[in-house]
Amino acid sequence: MSVPDISAVTQAPVGSGSSRASLASHRFARAVVGFMAVALFLIAWQIVGGNEIIRSDLISYPSEVVETLFQMSASGELGSNLVVSLQEFIQGFLPAIAVGIAAGTAFALSRRLHYLFEPLIVALNTSPIIAFVPIVVVWFGVGTQSKAIMVFLAAVIPIVINTMTGITQVHESWIRACRAFGASKSQVILKAILPGALPSVMVGVRLAVGRAVVGLIAAEMYVSVRGIGRLIQVYSTSERAAEIFVLVAVVASFGFVLVTLLRRIEGAIAPWSLEP
Amino acid sequence: MGRLDLEHLSLAYAQRSGAFLALADIDLSIRDGEFVTIVGPSGCGKSTLLMLIAALLAPTSGSVRLDGRLVTAPGSDRALVFQDFALLPWRTVLANVELGLELKGIPAQKRNAIAREHVAMVGLGAFERSYPHQLSGGMRQRVGIARALAVEPEVLLMDEPFGALDAQIRQVMGSELLRIWERGRKTILFVTHDIDEAIYLADRTIVMSASPGRIIADIPVTLQRPRPLDIRNDPAFTAYRQRIWDLLQREVMASNSWEQPQRAAVS
Repeated sequence: MSVPDISAVTQAPVGSGSSRASLASHRFARAVVGFMAVALFLIAWQIVGGNEIIRSDLISYPSEVVETLFQMSASGELGSNLVVSLQEFIQGFLPAIAVGIAAGTAFALSRRLHYLFEPLIVALNTSPIIAFVPIVVVWFGVGTQSKAIMVFLAAVIPIVINTMTGITQVHESWIRACRAFGASKSQVILKAILPGALPSVMVGVRLAVGRAVVGLIAAEMYVSVRGIGRLIQVYSTSERAAEIFVLVAVVASFGFVLVTLLRRIEGAIAPWSLEP
Repeated sequence: MGRLDLEHLSLAYAQRSGAFLALADIDLSIRDGEFVTIVGPSGCGKSTLLMLIAALLAPTSGSVRLDGRLVTAPGSDRALVFQDFALLPWRTVLANVELGLELKGIPAQKRNAIAREHVAMVGLGAFERSYPHQLSGGMRQRVGIARALAVEPEVLLMDEPFGALDAQIRQVMGSELLRIWERGRKTILFVTHDIDEAIYLADRTIVMSASPGRIIADIPVTLQRPRPLDIRNDPAFTAYRQRIWDLLQREVMASNSWEQPQRAAVS
């Protein structure tokens, strides 16, 4: 058919420049308040610990923690153990994403699978994952494998649950649009269901980061040869507060950076979900 | 070509109280290039009729033929435009228009060119990279129309497409739809509950009754084309309006009597 040239009736798109500017200034104000709260806390800590108002070998103080951070970095102690923990994390987390999305999709689309696995998912979701550390170590040894398994177990459940939630929240109209053009079942899954569930899947992945870090550190503290959790365990028996704070800060920073990164990715691949 | 033949089309739903007849014995033929509107009270099964033609629902009896071929499955020879737009919110305007072409397996470069052409046709050239949530309702339905036309269907099925828009935008969209149609003269079957809209757009208006849904009048609309927006004040137009209103009024009265029949789940 021929394609006529028709000028649009002018209608302004939603969202003007001024509201975007106020959003930016709001974000800035939030960052300033957050920064000030942290700064005040650090100053108070420095005064209390540095002047031995409370014994500094128990609570340490910021300048000592920073000094310790540099020492542990320079000696290679921090780096070499961090690499081990990161490897264990990645070895468990990436399979958890793949398995979690696949299983969540299967459970959401098949009533039989849903009924079969729902009790297991609920049980795993409500039980403290740390309770599994001893048996996982018995099964998979004291090395990196058991830690990766712990990361996997901790991470896979929130991803499964949020994938299922995302799929049940997929609008009927998105599926209808595809079906009307003659889409096959697998095309409907690829073009409507999975992209529609993506924002919820990403929430699951972000939740999984926290759970996985807890699982990893707990497993390393229980029994291991290397890793950040192993260091925490060693320094806790020798009552070294500064070293423990360094390690806790490293773990917290890792989680923070990863979750921030995931939010960025989410903003890039699913910008529509961030709108009301 | 886009000749549509509906023969003895019926649809019954199973209910606890027995079978409920949503559509009864619909016979309708639509010529290639004809603009036909269907008007009727809510619950008369006019949208259900479109779903049967799209083959998103299967009839209990009777048949749908497109250019003589029996319609049994959904396909891009019949494209739907929905009241709720049914756009994919994670896709840009351009990518939404590409959806049907993608499902047809058209290569990326070609479908991009086709989609851009159709986005420009509905006047959204400047919004190719926008997302649906950034557009007004009228603009979203322009995307819906572009998406449907991009697959070059034989028949365009429009299910109360302007029902979610406010009155002014609705009239403007109607006249734009006519301008697009005048260039390509695709067969259009357009469902509405707005009598003025039904007359303004149509070569022929089908009036339906409720419970069970059946055709009670088939009215050729012989108003001049192209039609200005103020044709609604024309004596010929008001005569059509009066005639259809009389037919529908009788229906609405009947269905609101003490012996009120059950309504279909799908309007």
